[in-house]
Amino acid sequence: MNLKKSFTIALILGVLSIIAWEFYWRSQGRFPDLDDDKYLWASTRAKVEKASKDDVVLVGSSRVLFNIQVHKWEELTGIQPIQLANAGATPLPTFHDIVEHTDFKGTVVVGVTPPLFFSTTFEQAPPWRRAASRSEFYKNRTYAQRLNYFLSIPLQNSLAFISNDDEEWHDDINLKALLNTISWSDRNGRASDPPFMRFQDIDIHRNVRMKNIMLTDTAFANSIKTVWKFFMSADMPPPDKESTIAFFIEDVNKLEARGGRVILLRNPSDGFFKDLENNGLPR
Amino acid sequence: MLFNSLSFIVFLVIVLVLYYSKLFNWTNKKRMLLLASYVFYGLWNPPLVILLWISTLVDWQAGKKLAVETNARQRKLWLLLSLAVNLGFLAFFKYRDFLLDNFTSVVNTYGYGYEAQPMDIILPMGISFYTFQTMSYTIDMYNRKIEPARTFLDFALYVTFFPQLVAGPIVRAQDLITQFYEEKKATVKQFLWGTFLLTIGLFQKIVLADTLLADTSDQVFGSQKILDSLDAWTGTLAFSGQIFFDFAGYSTCAIGIALMLGIVLPDNFRYPYASIGFSDFWRRWHITLSTWLRDYLYIPLGGNRHGIVRMYAALMITMLLGGLWHGAAWTFVIWGGLHGLYLIIERILRSRIQIKITAFNGIILALFTYILVNFTWVFFRAREFSVAKNMLSSMLFMNEEGEKIVGTFDVFKVFILIGLLFISHWLMRKTSLREVSLSMSPVTLGIVWAIMLFLIVISQGSGEQFIYFQF
Repeated sequence: MNLKKSFTIALILGVLSIIAWEFYWRSQGRFPDLDDDKYLWASTRAKVEKASKDDVVLVGSSRVLFNIQVHKWEELTGIQPIQLANAGATPLPTFHDIVEHTDFKGTVVVGVTPPLFFSTTFEQAPPWRRAASRSEFYKNRTYAQRLNYFLSIPLQNSLAFISNDDEEWHDDINLKALLNTISWSDRNGRASDPPFMRFQDIDIHRNVRMKNIMLTDTAFANSIKTVWKFFMSADMPPPDKESTIAFFIEDVNKLEARGGRVILLRNPSDGFFKDLENNGLPR
Repeated sequence: MLFNSLSFIVFLVIVLVLYYSKLFNWTNKKRMLLLASYVFYGLWNPPLVILLWISTLVDWQAGKKLAVETNARQRKLWLLLSLAVNLGFLAFFKYRDFLLDNFTSVVNTYGYGYEAQPMDIILPMGISFYTFQTMSYTIDMYNRKIEPARTFLDFALYVTFFPQLVAGPIVRAQDLITQFYEEKKATVKQFLWGTFLLTIGLFQKIVLADTLLADTSDQVFGSQKILDSLDAWTGTLAFSGQIFFDFAGYSTCAIGIALMLGIVLPDNFRYPYASIGFSDFWRRWHITLSTWLRDYLYIPLGGNRHGIVRMYAALMITMLLGGLWHGAAWTFVIWGGLHGLYLIIERILRSRIQIKITAFNGIILALFTYILVNFTWVFFRAREFSVAKNMLSSMLFMNEEGEKIVGTFDVFKVFILIGLLFISHWLMRKTSLREVSLSMSPVTLGIVWAIMLFLIVISQGSGEQFIYFQF
């Protein structure tokens, strides 16, 4: 066994194949970007610990995430808001985390997407779990995880094939995601979920913008709407307005008692989504 | 810190550079390794390093006293102190809530209405491994089987040596401490072979266990539904592959990393899914634990020296406690109990039926053993008895209306992968990775190595824990 020779071959072939892989994905129009994952969320959440009375924290669901541009806000006000909104999640657990586990006395903008805001206080329900799991991760993350994330940033910013988002997009570029795109007629007889493609770019400050393709390719944009409709048309438990409002009010009172402010923000919606909201949760 | 993480790559490079630099003499290199091991552990949860220190100090002191003490009663007290501290840690951190739950259940059957407050104590990573390792030192010292460690530094490094600290292999003192006495330096061949083992270990963990098998296993065992037989079998087979690749992957990484430092660790797995019978299985699966249980539990319980009934009782107690070692739940006890039962039945059959193993009946018997092993994995993986019961009834084709939840491609993927796993274990039964690699051309080996590297990189493991960390 000539291990030196084997090692040299492995090293050369390994590096060449990774370079080829990177070039292939770049040729497919992919470029290096960050993942919207629990690590990025946690490093943003850490900023609340040092935030002053003048600072602003954003909590909410995807509408706050997409609609509020943190750099524009900074340009207009001189303050960069701390973006803690989570797509597909109720803001209540994040708001609760800030009220209970920090002494933040600044302003919290709470996004109200009615089907999510009034959805539930049940801890295992997906809209709650998606947000609460990130707060739990922030609380429990190890020093090794922080170090891993710190080391991953230059790689995410340099290599297009690094893509491992928490959302598990249909077009993520990792082996598991690629295997998941293999479509065989399914033995369970159920229609498979429509593919949810990555349609956003996020930066290190969690400023999120929709990709340009959402403007230029109507079919792509409609595929995203189809997924939203699929989720929102699924059998969901009825909204729980009493519990959610009671839970929220208690936290609002606590924050205001220590000098903080709350701004409720209902982002506009139209078409199918507005009809759905008006039917289920009229103003 | 996890082997499958970016921080570990940086950590390992720094350790190797310092280890092979001419900055330090051997004693200082050992100090550096000890410090690195505490950093490796502390980056997960710094305060829990204190437990390691306590375990180290107590067992070092007990070992020193056992080396010179001649009074039998005093010797026993030193041994008991070591056992009490190590088993006390285990009882408090790992089994407290389990014991409390069972105590509460028993008390409440008599109508007391007692409610216990769960303490939500964090389980220190790898506590079952390092406590067993340090206990083996004091027990061997008590039995006068080994010499005491020459210096505290050697002993502390034995307890804390980072490649095998959190998930084994569980190494005996005479096999590891003595390696620290003389300066160790890997030869180029050893270093490269260690790198190859590290690559294989990461490939097993990141690509095979996490990317290809974990989701199917989680989907099936996380379902509360009554499943179709094929789904139940797919989930169980996926778990059997996942746990093997996860744990054997960790051991292979550990052995490889140690070898890069010139330190030799024992094998922990020898192609267990091609075992013919359960005695054979336990000579191939988690070898360092099974030999630990044999030497420090089964033999002290009488082993096979006091008749058949006592031997079977010792075997069953050993396997039940071995099950409990894996986790604080009755499902793990049942898992151990099933293995104990299999071992007893096998011994009875062997005493009455003599079979000459050939290639043909061998593979049939190996397949039969593997199928029986899969029934035990159901209890190991299921968090609740209701899930285990549903899974077993589906696997025994008793749920004709069971639901199909696993996709066609996933069924295909699991059966192909597990089929290949079984065949490769069968082919490797009487050989070793080193022998097979020796027989390959360097170019082929290099290509295989490159493919593994490429697949590791494109899998981009999310840095999830190894399953055995929780034990």
